[in-house]
Amino acid sequence: MTVVRRAGLALLLTAAVLVGFVGVTHWIMNIFIFTVMYAGLATGWNLVGGFAGYTSLGHAAFFGIGAYAMDVTFEHHSIGAGYVPFAILPFIGIGVAALSIPLGWIAMRTRAATFAIVTITLLFVVQTLAFNLKSITHGSQGMGITPPPFALHTYERPFYVAMLAMLVLALLITWYVQRSKLGLALAAIRDDEDKAHGVGVHVTAVKLIAFSTSVAIASMIGAVWAYYVLFIYPQFAVDPLISIGIVLMVFLGGKGTLWGPALGALIVVPAQQYFAYELGASKLYLIAYAGLFLVIMLFLPQGIIPSLASWADRNRHRRARTLSGGQLVSPPLHELLP
Amino acid sequence: MRKRLSNRRGAAGLLAMALVVASCSSSGTATPKVTGPLRIGISLSLTGDFADPGKAAQKGYELWRDTVNAKGGILGRQVELKIVDDASSPDQVVTNYTNLIDKDKVDLVFGPFSSLLTVPSSAVAKRFGYSFIEPAGGGPAVFDQKLDNLFFVQPATVVAGGEVFAKWVLSLPADQRPKTAAYPSLDDPFASPIADRIRQLFEAAGIKTVYNETYSAETTDLSPVIAKVAAANPDVVVAGTQSVDAYAQVKAMVEQKFSPKMLYMSNGANSPVEFPDKVGKGNVAGIFSTSAWLYRSDEPGNKDFVAAYIKKFGGAGSDIDETSAQAYACGQLLEAVAAKTSKVDNATIISSLHQGAWPTLMGQISWDAIGQPQGSTDLVQWIDGSLQVVFPTDQAKHQATVTKPAWGG
Amino acid sequence: MHLLVQSIIVGVLTGGVYALMATGQTLIFGVMRVINVAQGAMVILAAYLSSSLFSSFGIDPFLSILITAPILFVLGFTIHATFLRRLRPEQNELSLLIMFAVALGIEGVLGLAYSTTYRSIQTGYVNRSFTVAGYHVALVRLLAFGLSAVILVGLFLLLNRSRFGRSVRATVQNPTSARLLGVEPTRVAAIGFGLGAATAAAAGAVYGLVYPFNGGSHYDLISRLLSIVMLGGLGSLGGSVIAALVMGVAESVVAANVSPIWSSFTFFAVLLAVLVFRPRGLFGVAQRGAL
Repeated sequence: MTVVRRAGLALLLTAAVLVGFVGVTHWIMNIFIFTVMYAGLATGWNLVGGFAGYTSLGHAAFFGIGAYAMDVTFEHHSIGAGYVPFAILPFIGIGVAALSIPLGWIAMRTRAATFAIVTITLLFVVQTLAFNLKSITHGSQGMGITPPPFALHTYERPFYVAMLAMLVLALLITWYVQRSKLGLALAAIRDDEDKAHGVGVHVTAVKLIAFSTSVAIASMIGAVWAYYVLFIYPQFAVDPLISIGIVLMVFLGGKGTLWGPALGALIVVPAQQYFAYELGASKLYLIAYAGLFLVIMLFLPQGIIPSLASWADRNRHRRARTLSGGQLVSPPLHELLP
Repeated sequence: MRKRLSNRRGAAGLLAMALVVASCSSSGTATPKVTGPLRIGISLSLTGDFADPGKAAQKGYELWRDTVNAKGGILGRQVELKIVDDASSPDQVVTNYTNLIDKDKVDLVFGPFSSLLTVPSSAVAKRFGYSFIEPAGGGPAVFDQKLDNLFFVQPATVVAGGEVFAKWVLSLPADQRPKTAAYPSLDDPFASPIADRIRQLFEAAGIKTVYNETYSAETTDLSPVIAKVAAANPDVVVAGTQSVDAYAQVKAMVEQKFSPKMLYMSNGANSPVEFPDKVGKGNVAGIFSTSAWLYRSDEPGNKDFVAAYIKKFGGAGSDIDETSAQAYACGQLLEAVAAKTSKVDNATIISSLHQGAWPTLMGQISWDAIGQPQGSTDLVQWIDGSLQVVFPTDQAKHQATVTKPAWGG
Repeated sequence: MHLLVQSIIVGVLTGGVYALMATGQTLIFGVMRVINVAQGAMVILAAYLSSSLFSSFGIDPFLSILITAPILFVLGFTIHATFLRRLRPEQNELSLLIMFAVALGIEGVLGLAYSTTYRSIQTGYVNRSFTVAGYHVALVRLLAFGLSAVILVGLFLLLNRSRFGRSVRATVQNPTSARLLGVEPTRVAAIGFGLGAATAAAAGAVYGLVYPFNGGSHYDLISRLLSIVMLGGLGSLGGSVIAALVMGVAESVVAANVSPIWSSFTFFAVLLAVLVFRPRGLFGVAQRGAL
């Protein structure tokens, strides 16, 4: 990691945190909160969907479990409104990670398309439970939280910072995984699981680590979300469209890259919220969304970051060729860049 | 090395975007203007699960705007509506009300027409000190928030909505009263609580419960549910229904040749056009429901509303969705407050509506401290192919048919 | 006892309708390895078409299938030619998302064309039923079940007795060697996709007669159809028919005898349990598809 990189990252992080403190108006903060929320969800999903190649459609189930965990804690223990609820996030994360191990073990016996279907089935099971376990979740009556007593002009700040912390956590984990043996093992599983098993990768353990970390992040984000929107309902908290949205963002930004999922969220979420706000009444919203979706899949199947990278790669080759009078001199990229 | 390059480019891109977005934002909170047009922001579900009532509400709001503007507006200010879509999503509804209030600086907001979305959106309005006149959210979760800025514009809360049927049944002479009852209900905050409330009243009066189950909104096929209800053979079926499930219940009863002596459906059966269209004209006779509004009523402004509706959208009075009338009533309240106080700011609206009863095309409505309306609904019944008010007696236009005729379609 | 038998009758008849819908999905998976999450949307599209043909021209929904089936065939063929043909094998998971986008697109178009008011097809016989030994059988459901059976038998014959069927089975088993034998896998896949979509036409007419529907109804179908094809085993036509019947009966019996809120849960629980022991589903095979 060069000095420039480190400086750049520090600057980025500072800028992101500062956004919460420079008096940005409420409506923009609100969109930031949802954007950072999806960026965190997508980055977390990438651990399992991008690196291990297991397309999970079930992450919304864990998002919802986190949301209900938050509200149930609120109801049974007077943790009070304010900053305390943020302190229980790690416990929710750990609890959901533990819960996810047996579920992941069942689901990850299947692969590829079957895995996608099993996970979406899991999502519907969790949604049904949220409806039916009325004594815990109040079923279709929904669950509400008392609004926190935060001052109006900085109301969104704690939620924004909490969401940002989750995103940074997800990015740090991804960054670590990319550089560790775990990342190699996941890549081997994505390429050929049987072969990976053959060469001695602890396939099941590696997959379960990735899965439980990934869904633990989703659950903590769900808990912050529940506190922010103040009212949860089975169909809102355990919503297949959340899963689908995550997958779309990761594919758009670039699967298996560090920044791709976050970039995807940064493009899709503001666009989605803005278009629904400005164009929703024209009924074309769904069709436009579907159209965007198809265009991404057909023309950018690899996602923005990998496509940009290979485009830059080709460009450098070409320029190098012209500069050296047709002779192919292509120095490794990392030497060209500081 | 490819990966490292791409990582950094991504970082640079994110940074650039974050900065651009941040620089676009402006701080400072301008207060809404007190001259110029009166701008009202509303988020409706125009796509997604709740799109149907959303569109009906839009008609009601726009009709009210046209009517009031033709009369010269409110306190001389023309009314402008900003209607946005929340796609039936809670995230979007929070975004929409934040945007309407903080970005577009609308003067007032009205509630969404997707009842479940009322809770998150009313919390946003409360935070900014806006009044929240809303036509749809009448379930317990809405009032659990105990908000003083919220006013539910219907004659009664959801839970109280079915009490009128229980009162009618218990007003019958003992030998005509049912002995056993079944309660098949949709698991929904606006359906099952109605059946639950009636069940409490019936059980207290000694009517035995022989079936009490809820089914989920995904249950498209109600044949098995009705099979069990039929097997229990109750005298009265009290169904907490929403819309499609009411049609499905009736279809299943017809198919299984099960005709209870009395049938009450909280919603769906009170739709003058849809209901006979979906279950067959011959199958509606004798079915009870409740109604907050009927197009034939003489309440304040109702005749004008119906006439204006037909003029603008065509059709007949019976085609009008109750939702349109409820949305229109929100506007009526605003007019009434302005006429009485010569002001239309949020604080005035909140303090005024908490005092006394206010005229709407659904009748006079008054609220308690947390926005629960204090009135009651009318019991309606399908008689000779149309919906008739049969109870309470002072409102009744027709004698109730005590025993439901057999299925005829 | 009476209630149990009555609920089984209802369950079997409902299962027949789902079998018809799931068959198309299985066929498409068989020839293309594509999880067609748009199958539900196609069923709803067909239901709207049948409903329009009935209300505008008085064409009976069962007859309207003769008109809607070719339309859906063309639609399926076009979707394949536009979006799916260019996918490389390693991009298979993209197909799931593409089909989801197609489903959203269909929903959007239906919303635009028909608004979102619930519809149902009201023929003269729609609520008629008859009673056999004290058990009620709804006429429409029986007709629907019969239609499903006829179409399923037709599909079996097509796949097992015709030249086209042999090409399909060859493609399913091994596209490379099928090509060597003179079968053009892309063409077979396109036709297979079209056929799968065409079965949605029949399913849609039946669906519209039995249930009220609107553009958003396909969401309820997605999870059900996916679970059925999973339980039966991806790509197994017979498996999906049996799984559909299992689902119909399980849901109906639980709804009538236990509680309706647990009915769909029961089926999902059965599915997860089966997958723990047999990740391929009841009749799925390890690698190559079986039809």
